[in-house]
Amino acid sequence: MQRIPVTERPNLADAAAEHELEYSDSKGITGWDESAYYQFTPQQIEEDIKGPAEELEDLCIQVVGRAVENEEVLSRLGIAEPFWDYIAQSWRSGEKNLYGRMDLSYNADGPAKLLEYNADTPTALYETAVFQWEWLEQATEQKLIPEGCDQLNDVHDSIVQAFPHMGIEDVAHFACNHDIEDDKGTLDYLEECAREAGIDTCSLAMADIGTDDQGRFTDLDEQPITALVKLYPWEWIMAEDFGRLVPASGVHFIEPPWKMILANKGLLPLLWGMFEGHPNLLPAFFEDDPAAATLAETGRYVHKPMLSRQGANIEIVDDGKTLLHTDGPYGDDAHILQGYHPLTEFDGGYPLIGCWMVASKAVGLCIREDKTLITGKEARFVPHVIQD
Amino acid sequence: MKSWSSKSTALMVGVSLLALTACEEPKVDAFVFESLDQCKSDPLASSDQCDSSFAEAQTQHATVAPKYASEADCQADFGAEKCEEAPYKTSSGGSVFMPLMMGYMMGSMMGGRGGMMSQPLYKSAKSPNSFRTAENKNVGSKTGGTKVARSATSRPTFKSSTRSRGGFGSSGSRFGSAAT
Repeated sequence: MQRIPVTERPNLADAAAEHELEYSDSKGITGWDESAYYQFTPQQIEEDIKGPAEELEDLCIQVVGRAVENEEVLSRLGIAEPFWDYIAQSWRSGEKNLYGRMDLSYNADGPAKLLEYNADTPTALYETAVFQWEWLEQATEQKLIPEGCDQLNDVHDSIVQAFPHMGIEDVAHFACNHDIEDDKGTLDYLEECAREAGIDTCSLAMADIGTDDQGRFTDLDEQPITALVKLYPWEWIMAEDFGRLVPASGVHFIEPPWKMILANKGLLPLLWGMFEGHPNLLPAFFEDDPAAATLAETGRYVHKPMLSRQGANIEIVDDGKTLLHTDGPYGDDAHILQGYHPLTEFDGGYPLIGCWMVASKAVGLCIREDKTLITGKEARFVPHVIQD
Repeated sequence: MKSWSSKSTALMVGVSLLALTACEEPKVDAFVFESLDQCKSDPLASSDQCDSSFAEAQTQHATVAPKYASEADCQADFGAEKCEEAPYKTSSGGSVFMPLMMGYMMGSMMGGRGGMMSQPLYKSAKSPNSFRTAENKNVGSKTGGTKVARSATSRPTFKSSTRSRGGFGSSGSRFGSAAT
């Protein structure tokens, strides 16, 4: 694994315009940096990332299987009782999962460690599947990078192939907060994949979803929603006014309700509890667990809210002192403690390895680099290649 | 609420395109009746099938019929005294209107498609002789055994009457992006 400086494509501004990405002459594309790329060997990809990610997926599935049968666990994850049966039912009836992104700390020196699993509302999907791939093609063509470079990037085809198996019988509706361009962009891309798979789609804002006399959810044309691909977190859905109507609505949600167990950082102590010592896991405990105190005494840990987004409200403690902490709106919620396994610095950036899972297979890689150890909103996507 | 008249326009465009390409939709056998009595007096229909199909169409009527927030709008599409109040309320608590059921369609035993769903039929103010499905598909004016376009026999969709919107979205306004 190496970070290699490279010349930006001369047609970067045009590429940005074509893909409707924000661009300025001085700063380039917002959230994207192609002044360098990461190079991996095929072994690193296969043995250190792809293999472990699929093994972790298997462990995660075992956690879900156990969690849905355990009310204490569901309650500890902050899930309200009216949803327990609903989640368990979605699991038992085999509702399929579409996608997710595992965030790994990896530097080619030792096993990758799972930091968290963005299993419900992952983004940077389009950048991974389309824009990063186009960079590889054009950078090869323009001889900016050596010939014969590959990528771990089968994201697009995998999603298109997965959609027909998602159990969508009629029109699939796609909903998110339309005020957030990134979210809308990601969801639009997913909708495009569904259409490519031959599925009829209809898009609307979460706020435009209605409910009728029979407790069904409706779209703006008064048609009942039967399948909803949402880029909107389960914990928000459950907490909002219409949340109580969800279990009886008959709507088939993608991601399915059981995915919320994996998207919760409470997953990390559950994984450690079942598979303590696994090479790709870090010790992790619920904050109110006595074992958390033992980890805290080592003076080296990370304090994370169970539900937070984009690096918000995270505190890194090293040598007994707060090394770094981020603000955010999630500080009052329940937390976990996780062993500290810092991201490695490469030329002033801290790459976080995102491994895309589609239908539980590891099919893509995205690397986001921040200037600090906590990967937040300012992180920039850096492309990768696989080369012998 | 979805307007019947706007859907009619869309359908006419579709029909003229079909005519241009000289492609005719496959037809299937069906029975069309304007009442239960008319069905029972037809020697080709069994009395039991008449009863059960009529009941099924009646049950579907309130859910699949086009809905209007004003009686005047409903009458503009279906004619004076051809509308009734639907068993729903609008989000502000107002009445909802729908056309009267003017007949029903059921599968033909002769055609070997006895499994066809029966469904209610309506008549628009503009062409009061023809029966139309809740999806605004014309099935002609002939009663008794007849042939109808296969697409007209598909199950009509639920025409909802949304009570309220905006029950989702508040967290997004508070927290911003859902991205992780």
